[in-house]
Amino acid sequence: MSKSTFIICEKSYLIRKGLISIIEKIPDTRIVQQFDSEDEIKNLGNFESDFIIINTNLLNTKTQKILQKISNTSAGGMGFTQIISLSQKSEFKEINWVEYINIDDSQNIILTKLKTLIGNRKTDNPKSEAPDEISKREIDILKNIALGLSNREIADKLFISAHTVVTHRKNITRKLGIKTVPGLTIYAILHKIINIDDTEQIKS
Amino acid sequence: MLITKNIKMADVIHMNYFTLSVLNRFGIELGFGDKTVAEVCKIENVDVDFFLEIVNAFVDKDYFPKKQLQTFSVKLITDYLRKTHYDYHQIKVPEIESLIEEMVKACYSEKENLVLLKKFFNDYKQELLNHTNREETVVFPYTIAIEDAFNSKTLDNSVFDLMETYSIAIFQNEHENIEEKLFDLKNIIIKYLPQPKNSENCHKLLYALFSLEQDIIDHSRIEDKVLVPKIREMEKVITKRFGEKK
Ligand SMILES: [Fe+2]
Ligand SMILES: [Fe+2]
Repeated sequence: MSKSTFIICEKSYLIRKGLISIIEKIPDTRIVQQFDSEDEIKNLGNFESDFIIINTNLLNTKTQKILQKISNTSAGGMGFTQIISLSQKSEFKEINWVEYINIDDSQNIILTKLKTLIGNRKTDNPKSEAPDEISKREIDILKNIALGLSNREIADKLFISAHTVVTHRKNITRKLGIKTVPGLTIYAILHKIINIDDTEQIKS
Repeated sequence: MLITKNIKMADVIHMNYFTLSVLNRFGIELGFGDKTVAEVCKIENVDVDFFLEIVNAFVDKDYFPKKQLQTFSVKLITDYLRKTHYDYHQIKVPEIESLIEEMVKACYSEKENLVLLKKFFNDYKQELLNHTNREETVVFPYTIAIEDAFNSKTLDNSVFDLMETYSIAIFQNEHENIEEKLFDLKNIIIKYLPQPKNSENCHKLLYALFSLEQDIIDHSRIEDKVLVPKIREMEKVITKRFGEKK
């Protein structure tokens, strides 16, 4: 499962630590990086994260452009990085702030704000999570993959379309955590779906 | 945490001991006392900025060094990549091989499972060797020729001919995902292999596989995200120069 990642930009050590301890209360989150000076903000573009929480007192006209750019480029296929302000005022109007966290917010308010953002982001980027049990049909496909058949050959043999074979293959890989044909072959042998001798016949 | 010039070199290792491989590739030996990263690099004649980019990218997979790394020479980058290949073939792969071999030896029942594992890794080793050989004999020499042409004021037709036969776009296409099989092997051992009696060797093996996989992912990222874009830009400039000449 993918974790929600955060970058925190704030001068004050105490505020940073406080914020981190709140974020750590939310399951499946990770702090990627912390920045505490105006100078370091320049490097923001080198990191990827789902969220950036930044105090605007760390921004200047140059770095605000960097931040603007980040909020407009998608990170690792997971959608845009969302920028959260750590101050009420928003002089930097060009940045698309998704939320404001105030210094006097209670822990519950901050938790609610962050959980809502994480929740929205997850529904915007849904990742199908099916049960890991491998189906009978998939075992059929797996057997033929392990025997060295191509997608086309499997499709012809089982009277299904090549496209369906590809879909099955993707599901098998996701469920087993094995991506390559030799890897799947070992799995098939260990689970007695095929015999070692079967594979040797193909190679000779 | 970002590694910077003024951090003690010893702390870099304390932070993530996998960095020992990186230090080794830069020829940095242990025993540096309380010297900082900058001081050690100076003594060992290592470009400290390059070291920092490489080591930061190595410890933090979210650190995308493309911008700074672009400023370093192709020679410097490919030298590091070559040393990494050498490290795989001379140290990391043989280590895994001998661990598997020990497991096979110590095993009495269901030996065939481990023999299967051994064969899988053997095939992988050959694949890795082909992969790195191709890079060292074709790709890296090409990138260095491109850099030389880019830096030289005169236009040499031989580069033009070279670019007719090969390009970094071809490499980008043919560059295979070489860490996938390690990922599979790890999962097979963790999830599916009937556990041998002495799990100690098995754990050592997993540890070595994790280490090699992480290293190769980092290595390939430098090839794909740093070397490729850098050469692509240079190719563009060279092509333009030839266009102006005609
Ligand atoms: Fe390589
Ligand atoms: Fe490579």
